[in-house]
Amino acid sequence: MRLSLVVHLTGVMVRLFGSMFLPPLAVALAYGELRDAAGFAAGGLATVAIGHLMRMAGGSSAEDALESMRRVEGLAVVSAAWLLIAHLAAIPFAWAGLGLVDALFESMSGLTTTGATVIQDFSAFGHAIFFWRALTQWLGGMGVIALFVAVLPRLAIGGRELFFAEASGPSDEKVSPQIRRTAVVLWRLYAGLTVLEVVALWLAGFSIYDAICHAMTTLAAGGFSPHPLSIAGYQNPAAEWVIIVFMGLAGANFALQYRAFVRRDFRVFHRDDELRVYVAIVAVAAVVLTLAIRGEVGPGATVRVALFQVLSILTTTGFASVDFQFWNEQAKMALLALMFIGGCAGSAAGGPKVVRLLLLARYAIQELRRTLHPRAILPVKLGGRVVPESTMKAVIVFLLFYLLTFAVCAGIVIALGADLVTGLTAAIATLGNIGPGFNQVGPMSSYADLHPVSRVALTLAMWIGRLEVLTVLVFLRPEAWRGGRWTVERPVGAN
Amino acid sequence: MSPARKSKRVVIVGGGQVGSSLARALATDHEVFVIDHDTGVADTFSSMDVEFILGSGTSEDVLVRADVEHCEFLVACTGLDEVNIVACAIANRIGNPQTICLVSRDDFLSAGGKAIGLEQFGIDRVLWPEAQLAADIERIVTAPGAIDAEVFAGGIVRLFEYRLGAGSQLITSQVSGLHLPRGSLIVAVKRAGRIFVPRGATRLVAGDKIIIMGTPDALRAVQALVHPGTTRDRQRVTIIGGGDVGFQLAACLETSPSIELSVVEGDPDRGAMLAARLSRTLVLNGDGTDLELLESERVGQSDVLVSVIDNDEKNLLASLLGRQLGVPKVITRVSRPANLRLFELVGIDVALSARGSAVASILHQITGGRASLLAVLEHGEARVIEITVPDTFEPRELKGIGTPEDAIVAAILRGDRAIVPRGDDQVEPGDRILVFSTRAAADRVLAYFGAEA
Repeated sequence: MRLSLVVHLTGVMVRLFGSMFLPPLAVALAYGELRDAAGFAAGGLATVAIGHLMRMAGGSSAEDALESMRRVEGLAVVSAAWLLIAHLAAIPFAWAGLGLVDALFESMSGLTTTGATVIQDFSAFGHAIFFWRALTQWLGGMGVIALFVAVLPRLAIGGRELFFAEASGPSDEKVSPQIRRTAVVLWRLYAGLTVLEVVALWLAGFSIYDAICHAMTTLAAGGFSPHPLSIAGYQNPAAEWVIIVFMGLAGANFALQYRAFVRRDFRVFHRDDELRVYVAIVAVAAVVLTLAIRGEVGPGATVRVALFQVLSILTTTGFASVDFQFWNEQAKMALLALMFIGGCAGSAAGGPKVVRLLLLARYAIQELRRTLHPRAILPVKLGGRVVPESTMKAVIVFLLFYLLTFAVCAGIVIALGADLVTGLTAAIATLGNIGPGFNQVGPMSSYADLHPVSRVALTLAMWIGRLEVLTVLVFLRPEAWRGGRWTVERPVGAN
Repeated sequence: MSPARKSKRVVIVGGGQVGSSLARALATDHEVFVIDHDTGVADTFSSMDVEFILGSGTSEDVLVRADVEHCEFLVACTGLDEVNIVACAIANRIGNPQTICLVSRDDFLSAGGKAIGLEQFGIDRVLWPEAQLAADIERIVTAPGAIDAEVFAGGIVRLFEYRLGAGSQLITSQVSGLHLPRGSLIVAVKRAGRIFVPRGATRLVAGDKIIIMGTPDALRAVQALVHPGTTRDRQRVTIIGGGDVGFQLAACLETSPSIELSVVEGDPDRGAMLAARLSRTLVLNGDGTDLELLESERVGQSDVLVSVIDNDEKNLLASLLGRQLGVPKVITRVSRPANLRLFELVGIDVALSARGSAVASILHQITGGRASLLAVLEHGEARVIEITVPDTFEPRELKGIGTPEDAIVAAILRGDRAIVPRGDDQVEPGDRILVFSTRAAADRVLAYFGAEA
């Protein structure tokens, strides 16, 4: 692994991020929050400076670096960039008064589109800070979509190389093989949908500020809200329906949506196996939850509340339209089950992803059939195409590591003093980038009361979960670091 | 009415099985030229009234000698696809025949069965015998209880052949007393190797095979009569051999939700390809002649066993095993026509040959005109002919027409309706009549109807 290359490319990404401090700076100035403004300025300058230094230290030009990048270096860049940017994005939070551990938690929760918060007193923070929360989530979502649709399939993590075959389809054009073009095209769709939601929320009665903040965190499947009571604080059924629709879209495959909306090919919705399962899960869970919470909410609202929460948890957004901490155990069990599923591959949602669980289920069924027909040839198929054994193995390994990481995190949190339910839900809510859990970390509470080491562990869990576990865990192996040398190319004959 | 058939000039490139079968069928009424570069083949044709030319079908000189300039049909049926294509291409430059080209690989056929790439060679029709065979087998599989099935006139007239078991309701009565549903008619009985058209007084016995033609609805009722209890909805079909025919057949059959399908294929790679391309079929990797495999997969409980391995010996063995395990209907592929009788002797109901299907199909096309040969059945022993009644015909009742011995008018097609006639049904000008006759009677039938003024 060429460290110089990794440092250089990470530096490029960090420096790019630096310009993102400008919008919140503007917001802070607009609302007269001068102290916070200074924090954003400081953060921005630090980010640009560090990014620039890293670029220089790394040496070679960005284009060459990308071309010659090896797989382990790619993984290192992605992991390092995310971690480093989270630290830098924490500067404004620390400047505004959060402790260092908390600032990093909040910042990581933003960039990984988790939506878990350590803020207890919302009134102590200004508009710019909440805007920054929303912006980091929106950017995090963008990064995820670009990375996971465009770049990471090449790096073949956890079976990913297979997931976008359907979006391209055998008879359709590919969504551009070039990374940059693919990413730009999807970003346009993402941005377009965000604007659409801003308008819809504004029409439903939200202020422009609230509309923008919520639209950004919905599309990113993040879940941060400027209101301490999340969506429940607005008591606006029309807005809840708007958010329901956009959460549904945020949790679905963006490459597929591009093909459907932009290329006007709506047949892809019918053909995509993952989407069909996704819709089925939403439908079934909504029905189950509606039955479970009868009586807990007013009659007219039951379906809306159930659908909202199902989509919020499944797509790992994490909004709450009621305080579901007070629901009965059966309803909470339904939500807990959804936390382990996640959204569709190719969206900004977290979790193991619907498609992986679908493949696992199909694989299990084939193995059952094999006991009845030992001589049968029973391939697993996705979208009519055979899934190679190697990909199937990658999916299974991914799920095993996911569960392992979950267990370790839950173990740490519980060992450090939390109760069982808090520990388990905190672990899955951060690893799966959902946000709220139950009990101590319920939708209207905060993670602030957990032990500092727990909070650090959960911060790491957010990072690991966002990057699909293996991207980060691979660096626990010494081989990944082997050959880590520092080489700086000097241009021949230059001065 | 003009003579039933005009003599056509047909050039056949390739004197193999298809070529010789075609030549034999066409020799009496048409001018046939056969081209082949193998001297050994020449003997087959010496007894036929055809002109044999020794040479290669890809040579322009040879084709000119075969008078391709003036021929109406050219059939390219050598064993090599490329030779067939080139022969057709050259023929189209010399003259203007209708070219029929046989291929053995599906590279040339696109998904819709059209040979887009070959149109530039001027080939009018591309035949893939394996696909044709698969289609024939599919018809038989989807006709429960029947050992042969044909379709005419776009589906409004059907033909089924049944073997009468000992417990069948149709035995002991006279044909005239059978009371078959309106719209169906017994056109032939096959007993002890001989085929004949039954008269009213004919009695049916166990072991007879009967051929019935009629409208689809009537035949459904007949089926219940002949084989009560076989109108169950679900059918279990096992295909042995996953080659071209097996794959085509499986792909076709699995689209029907009432069929439960398995394929046994010996080559694991081929099996993997089949499992990838087929969606509802269970693909088993194993030898179709392995009794243990057949028993563990409970093949004996299938309704139909289709054995289409590319090897007659294995097909025979697999079919016999299937019979032994109790499968009611066994359909087999036979490569060498000489083996066809043998298969029937050991009790395998249906033995089909890919080349036979191809020959039948080509004959359909060539013998056009007032009378078309629609089907050749029972290995050439019987045929179904369609005759168009000329406009100068006086409408009269069927019983007033009187058909020759061993022939029977099975259906009258008027507009888009099919009428399975009783004696008092009228035959009108413009009608197309379907006549079932034995091979021997066919000439007399055509002469008879051709002579009508």
